[in-house]
This record gives sequence, C-alpha cells and structure tokens, in this order.
Amino acid sequence: MAADRRRRLGRDAVSVLEAIALRAEVGLRVYGDSARAVLRSIVDATVTLFDAEAASIALYDAASDRLVFEVASGEQGQGVIGLSIAPDQGIAGYVFRTGQALALSDAAHDARFGRAVAEQTAYVPRSIVAVPLVSDDRTIGVLEVLDKRSAATFSLRDIELAAVFAGQAATAIGATRVERDIGSLLESSLRALADADVPEQATLDEIVAAATADLGRDDSSRLWPLADVIARLRTADPDQLELVTDILDALHRRATRDSRRRRRSRPDGGDTSESR
Amino acid sequence: MTELDMPAWSEPFVSERRADLSRVGPFGTLERDFAFGGSDGSGVRVAVIDSGIEKDHPAVGGRLVASYRVEPTDDDPIVVDDPDAIDVVGHGTACAGIIHSLAPAAELISIRVLGPDNRGKGANFAAALIWAIEHGVTIVNLSLSSRSEELFPLFHELTDEAYFGNVLLVSAANNVPGPSYPSLFSSVVSVAAHDVADPWTWYYNPHPPVEFGAYGLDVDVAWRDGGRIVATGNSFATPHIAGLAALIRAKHPSATPFEVKAMLAATANR
Repeated sequence: MAADRRRRLGRDAVSVLEAIALRAEVGLRVYGDSARAVLRSIVDATVTLFDAEAASIALYDAASDRLVFEVASGEQGQGVIGLSIAPDQGIAGYVFRTGQALALSDAAHDARFGRAVAEQTAYVPRSIVAVPLVSDDRTIGVLEVLDKRSAATFSLRDIELAAVFAGQAATAIGATRVERDIGSLLESSLRALADADVPEQATLDEIVAAATADLGRDDSSRLWPLADVIARLRTADPDQLELVTDILDALHRRATRDSRRRRRSRPDGGDTSESR
Repeated sequence: MTELDMPAWSEPFVSERRADLSRVGPFGTLERDFAFGGSDGSGVRVAVIDSGIEKDHPAVGGRLVASYRVEPTDDDPIVVDDPDAIDVVGHGTACAGIIHSLAPAAELISIRVLGPDNRGKGANFAAALIWAIEHGVTIVNLSLSSRSEELFPLFHELTDEAYFGNVLLVSAANNVPGPSYPSLFSSVVSVAAHDVADPWTWYYNPHPPVEFGAYGLDVDVAWRDGGRIVATGNSFATPHIAGLAALIRAKHPSATPFEVKAMLAATANR
C-alpha cells in the first residue's frame, strides 16, 4: 500500500518537478548573468572601499563539492575566476566550514595561508580578510578581500564591513530566486508537496534524479540558445516584448499542430518521442 | 535586513565604547593573585575542537597529549584516534598556541572536526563535545559557531549537558553580526575581540549575550607547517579566555563553570 502510494507520488512528482526543473534551468540561463553582474559590482565596490589589491567571491557547488571562485575584482584578482578549492582547505575553506570570519596577515612572517590558490595564480597575498556568505542560515560561500593598500593588516571594523558586503552578495543571490542547485530546489519543492507524507530520502533522491536526468548535461539542446536570446531581450521595451511573445506563441501553436499531424500520419500511431 | 540591525559582538569592547563597561561589581575587588596567582594550568585538560593541532609546533610546547578526529559513519559520527596530529588549516594550532602561552602546563587535546564531509556539521560537533564531556576534559575551546536555527535545540541541549557535567565551554561569538550558536547561550563563556594588544587584558560586559572581550586584533599566532602569522578575529580572543580559565581551574579544582565565570568577571580589567 505504502509502496504503491509512494510510486504514485513519485510519478506525479516527477512530472511536476520536470516542469519546475525546466523553468529553473531556463531561469538560470536567463538570470544567471544578472546575478553574476550584481556579484561583480559587489566585489568592485569592495575593492574600491578597502583600497585593496583584490576581492573575490567563491560559492559552494554541491555537485562537485568544491568552492568555486565566481567573480573577482582588482588588478590581482582576475586570475582566480573559475578556480576551485576543496571546501575544507585553506582560509576560505575554514570560513566556509565554520562560518567564522577571519583576518590574517603575514606582515612579519613567512605564512602560507593562501598557498593552494596562490600556487595556481602566482599571486601571494600579504593580508587577507575572509567572511562567510550566509543565506537562510546556510553558508553558501565566502567573500575574500586581499591586501589593503593603506595598512598591513585588516581591523575588526574591516571584518564587519566585509560582512556587510557579504550580506549584500548573499541577498543578491537569494533575490534572483534561482536556485543554483536545482537538485536541492526540487528536493525542497518535493518536501513541500509531500508535506505530511514525506517519502524516504532514497525515494526523494530517485525522484529528483529522474526529474533532472535530462537537464544540464545536454548543452547542445537547441532550447538553450533560445533561452540565451530571451535573456538578452530583458532590456527590450514592453511593446517589443509583446510582439516577441505573440510570435513565440504562434510558433508554439504551429509546432503543436505539426506534431499532431505527424503522429496521425504514422501507420502504427506509435510514440514519437524518440529523444528521451 | 535583520543582519544589519544586529549588533557587532565586539562593539562593546572597542576603545571608544569601553567606558560603558565600567560599573561597581557586587563583591568588591577580587585579586588576580587569588584567582590564579602561581598557577600554570597543571592538571587541567583543555580540548580544542577545531581544525586540528600540529603536534610538533614549537608554540604547543609538547603539551598536546592526545589527538582525535570526528569520522562520519552510516550512523552517528564517531571520535577516532588521529595519530598523525595534523592541522588542515592552522587555526586550531593558533588556538592551542595561545592557550599554551597563558597556561603552559595545561594538557591539550585536539578534536578535529573539519573534514571532507560538510553535511554532518551539527552531528560532528555533537560527537566531539560528548566525547570531551565523557573523557575528563574540563575546558573546551570552541572557536566555531553556527547561525542555523535548525541546530539551535541540539546546541542548547549539549551546552547544558556540558555545564551540568562540570565542563566549561569557552565559545567565540561570530565576527559577523547576527545569531551565533552556541556562543549566545548563557551556559557558555562567550568571547569577542578587543583591540588592546595584551593577552592579560580582558573585559567583562555586564550586558550579555557576549560577556567577555579578550585580545583578538593583530595577534601573533602559530600557524600550519610550523609557521606563524598575524591574525584578527573573535576566534583568537577565545583561547585567551580559555587559557585564563585553565589557570583558575588549576588553582581552584573544585570551582564549577559558574564560579570560574564569576572569577573571570571579577578579575577583569576595569
């Protein structure tokens, strides 16, 4: 009985979640750049305010279990973009794991706190402040500021100030309303759907895996260039947007008609969904 | 929104605000000599729940008597021997070095909770703390905190368990304004940083939640690979108070966590 209900819930949930996942993936494409733009403006502002050599934001990527440097600013910051580190290593890892902000400097010693990243970028900072990015009680990443030009170390006030910028960044990420991790979005949606009848974790994982199976990996899908075009249209004026919507609507109606016609013309009336 | 409305926990201890801390204490003056004069921390075991402690680091002075790490299992995480005694960051060694500099005879125990598994953060902490309570540790240095409301009940239960089990938890407030557990529970000694460059200067703040301010700005600390760096943050203020507590507990072995906290408050700078 229970297994039966779970299977039914699973089937219904998969179709609902497929729809959510598709929207989220399209949303990610459409809004992804604007979220990045906000983050970039935050690190730009951070560098200016601190008069620092560099600032960067690393976000946790659950799929790869890595902290990935998403944006950076300042002359010495660019090399770090796209690099990733283990989430329990180095200063960024410590701050990410513990939520505890720190400022360090090696003004007097040969410290090697930035070693992992420094080796990859050939830039070794003399001082660093790192604060957690916290969204909904969860640490989602780390903001780092490197080498304040006017002083050898960062002060307590600097840590608090950096935290304000980190708060802005975390808010910006939340405000795009696009979960970076579609898996966790789906899981939370599913929990909300299931409510009193919460399925086992393993069942949840299966359902989420089924709903996201075709996403992300198929970068060659023709849908994505379209989503990219739509993303660029965000700045269009309302009249133009209405026109585009009408055109797409007409195209959609025609595509549906065509596919119906094709199905009828098949002698066996079989399933046409060959691409799964 | 709420984040910006919350106070910065080190704010009461910065120079321009310190006048607000002065008050007439209820017991008159308690001499530091009574509280810990002649004490070197002998017979006190201090656990550092952190990133590990480097066994051979000169700053630790050979006082690391045991090293453990929390290992995740299919069930609850367990505490296992960590004979290599590594520090994956340097932070735990920094804390141990500070404690050792104040209480040179205190025994140090490392329980490393930073590992490759991030999901069991609350469970890892719980395993480490329960282990400490059950193994005769009397002071725990905790420079970790969480703002997760989800972990609130677990942390609350554990800190009470420690308090009732005669284990003093010395816990760093988060540098980032906002909730930080377990540092905001009344059963722990919570610490933020002040800006006076002196390990023997500490302040008592009669307006909780954060009750103590200790040296935490530009502190010269031990770091990984036998190195040293200059560090700032509440997590470096915390081991200063843990070291002082070790001195008090060595001199007054019967003092409870409540009495140790009262002595720390009564001997604080005014």
